Amino acid sequence: MTRQVLSLVPELSIITWSPFVGALLIMFTARHRPRAVRWIAAVTTGISAALSVWIYAAYDQDTAGFQFYEKVPLVPPLGISYELGADGISLLMVLLTSIIIVAGVFASWTVTVRSQEFYALLLALVTGVYGVFVSLDLFVLFLFYELAVLPMYLLIGIWGSTGEVRPRGIFAWAFRETGVGTKEYAAMKLTLYLLFGSAFILVGILSLYVNAGAASFSFLDFEATAFPRTLQRWVFFAFYVGFGILAGIWPLHTWSPDGHASAPTAVSMLHAGVLMKLGAYGVVRVGMGLLPEGAADLAWLVGTVACINIVYGALSSMAQTDLKYVIAYSSVSHMGIVMLGAATLTGAGLNGSVFQMFAHGVMTGLFFALVGLVYEKTHSREIGKMGGFGRTMPGIATAFTIGGLSSLGLPATAGFVAELLTFLGAWRSAHRWWLFPAVAGTFLTAVYVLRVAKQIFWGPPSSHFHDLQDARGPEWVALVVLVFVLVLFGMVPGLAIAPVDTATIPLLARIVSP
Amino acid sequence: MSAFTLELGLGAVMLLVFGASLVARGRDRRWIAWLATAGVLVLGMLSAWVKPTPPALAGMFVQDGLAIFAKRLFLAATFIGLLAGISADAVACGRRAGEYHLLILSSLLGMLVLASARDLILLFVAFELMSIPLYVLAGFLKRQDEAVEAALKFFLVGSVSSAVMAYGLSFVYGAARTTDLARVAQAFAPGQPLLLLGLLAVFAGFAFKIAAFPFHMWVPDTYEAASTPFVAWLSVAPKAAGFVALFRVYFEGMGDRVATWVPIAAGLAAITIVAGNLMALPQQNTKRLLAYSGIAHIGYMLVGFAAASASGTAMVLFYLVAYVFGNMGAFLVVEAVARSERSEATAALRGLAQRSPLLALAMLLFLLSLGGIPFVAGFWAKLYVFWAAAAAGLYWLVLLGAVLTVVALFYYLIVAKRMYIEPPDASAGRIPLPGTLALAVILCALVVVGLGLYPKPIVMAALRVAAPLF
Repeated sequence: MTRQVLSLVPELSIITWSPFVGALLIMFTARHRPRAVRWIAAVTTGISAALSVWIYAAYDQDTAGFQFYEKVPLVPPLGISYELGADGISLLMVLLTSIIIVAGVFASWTVTVRSQEFYALLLALVTGVYGVFVSLDLFVLFLFYELAVLPMYLLIGIWGSTGEVRPRGIFAWAFRETGVGTKEYAAMKLTLYLLFGSAFILVGILSLYVNAGAASFSFLDFEATAFPRTLQRWVFFAFYVGFGILAGIWPLHTWSPDGHASAPTAVSMLHAGVLMKLGAYGVVRVGMGLLPEGAADLAWLVGTVACINIVYGALSSMAQTDLKYVIAYSSVSHMGIVMLGAATLTGAGLNGSVFQMFAHGVMTGLFFALVGLVYEKTHSREIGKMGGFGRTMPGIATAFTIGGLSSLGLPATAGFVAELLTFLGAWRSAHRWWLFPAVAGTFLTAVYVLRVAKQIFWGPPSSHFHDLQDARGPEWVALVVLVFVLVLFGMVPGLAIAPVDTATIPLLARIVSP
Repeated sequence: MSAFTLELGLGAVMLLVFGASLVARGRDRRWIAWLATAGVLVLGMLSAWVKPTPPALAGMFVQDGLAIFAKRLFLAATFIGLLAGISADAVACGRRAGEYHLLILSSLLGMLVLASARDLILLFVAFELMSIPLYVLAGFLKRQDEAVEAALKFFLVGSVSSAVMAYGLSFVYGAARTTDLARVAQAFAPGQPLLLLGLLAVFAGFAFKIAAFPFHMWVPDTYEAASTPFVAWLSVAPKAAGFVALFRVYFEGMGDRVATWVPIAAGLAAITIVAGNLMALPQQNTKRLLAYSGIAHIGYMLVGFAAASASGTAMVLFYLVAYVFGNMGAFLVVEAVARSERSEATAALRGLAQRSPLLALAMLLFLLSLGGIPFVAGFWAKLYVFWAAAAAGLYWLVLLGAVLTVVALFYYLIVAKRMYIEPPDASAGRIPLPGTLALAVILCALVVVGLGLYPKPIVMAALRVAAPLF
């Protein structure tokens, strides 16, 4: 490992902390001024977005490795330092985060209840997300991770919405007792699940630290250490469970449909679009990156669970009558593709996995933005009641259809590239049968996506709603940006594959050749 | 300065308070409370200049780094407890103000001596000096049945534990033929059943005092019934004293033989964490909730104790600091709310964020700190004890503790939900907050946040004082 060159301008720090500064500004200067709140949010996230596009373009693919490196020792005796750096994978994730948060800020332009606190929490959370993607110090990474998880509780609990679909069946009493479906229940469930995961992550990090012997939490130092194989297995398992919960692995995924369905629009977008990627990124970067032998030994588990995810998520999605739950379960299914790609331990599969993180992030962000718009206009999430919205809101209908086509993997959309690469990887991997559940999942996706699109937008008009309007003003920003990105990366996949490739090749080299 | 400066100073303050209560007339005796608080404050400042001295009284009394660290913590906790009590009701400032403060100060004297005791007899006497005033204080509201019941329960359990401890000490003396702890440590070898039995009995006695499971029964009732500023102090200071004594008896001078205690301490830690957290789940009264969560915290400190290393000991000391301020702060917020709402139920906190945003924010900080969330002191505390335990190879205990923090966060978040998500009653306005109570809450919040952002000085100090024990 060559020594890292310090970056002259702290681009990554600016990207990471700009939303946080925005949050502070909003807390202290914009009391009772909702317009100012929104503009501060838009400008500070805009700065991050512009810079992340810039570094994405400026990344030197020939040198590869971690670039834009920054390091400031925080607690020297314990080896904790504020160490940032980005390689191809992180860059793509940073770009994704920027796209989603900018779209999210515009999509929640109409939040008026306690908007000051809403935006402050949202921006603090985004700082946590950026931080995880660019941290090279595992300890600081963990701090950012917690920062990304905790504001969720209040964001969902205060601004969320309670589903109107009441539980039925023999367990209805238990559901009523615990308040299943309410926003408070969803917020608590999500927070506890994710903190349960972070307990595993913390144990994993501590055991690496203790066993490495060097007083350092730096990713680069851990990478240079060869851990014993048994330890690698255990710690990889801990990371897989810990980060995997956030990535929605079966059977620990149940927080995700509840949480995403109850969360307000921007939070659903950010959570399904970016935070679940945080989990997958953790498994790939920390789990596979630091514990190559452990990853190789447990790949069968990761891949098999991923297959269950794909099929189970798609089947669950087909059974939903609440629009938000359909999208939420589709995330569970699509995150299965991400994890499957990683588990194949092949170049194509891993690239597909990272590409799917990006594609699904944009796609699901688009879906939740659209569902938020539909909900705002109809005040309903019940699919059965809706119908024929294509006539009254053509813009929303078109965007939804494009998102849906990407979701089922139609060529010329980003979803196609991701799924193709993953399937290719699965076929080349040691477990060829993984391909079949994965392809079946795509088929099922087509069934539920087209069913929903037909029912809501293209079917006969519903008599429940009148005077519905299409998206307006700032709301268009979110839709246009997301659809554009989806198609752009579908047409020119090389935009993402080229930098990602520079990061996945060395990662795989460590796993395959022991 | 002599080795006894703080103890003598405290004696002087006690005499002053005693004299004052002789001359005091009338129903409002708030000035006695001010006098005691100021006295403790002066002692606290004085403790900044106290330096380690060679053992006094033929090695019975040591003023080493550990003792000084602990004494500063006791003084700080007592100061905050007394400060919060000043604004209080009739309890601390009424006709019996003199009694109340004398009892607290004599218990404090017990703690100060305990931190320095390196002799079995002095240790036991100091322990009793610390404990007996607490029994009286628990039943201070003598016209309330619950308080009397709580005091009786506390007293019975406490005296049984003292008896068990004395019994154990007699074995230790019989086997080691000395009351000097330094020589007991030298005499201790795994092959001595009598000495081991004695030390285990003493351990059980300590477990009563620090309220580890299954020796915790007195805690919830006592906390619920006694006056809150006193409970805030009771929930932290005697526990801290208990841990310091544990270090003295079981670690100091033992060398490699400390490994004997690892399985016992780890088992006790595991069961205490699990039981405390699970029992806290159904609580609807905030004070009982904090009581059970306090038991779980004792379990986490025992995790550090189970590491049986210098770093483990230091991390427990840091944990104690974080716990003292986080837990006292939470109790004091409950006191402020209870005084205005006449209720200690968690439901009384409904909509606090919209009624008194700063008070709610302070409570949130304390709860997050107790729950072990980054950027407040409790996170580092938990992290450091886990770290020490991981370094000692106790991975299972770390995982168990980390997973159970999720349970703890559940009940802390329920309280947060009441404050932030539920709306207040329509008629409810701002919570009135007396100046001294506000000051106490602010002090706690400052420490919790300050240590959360910059834990290094206290960690380093704790590491420094813990190293000579091994």
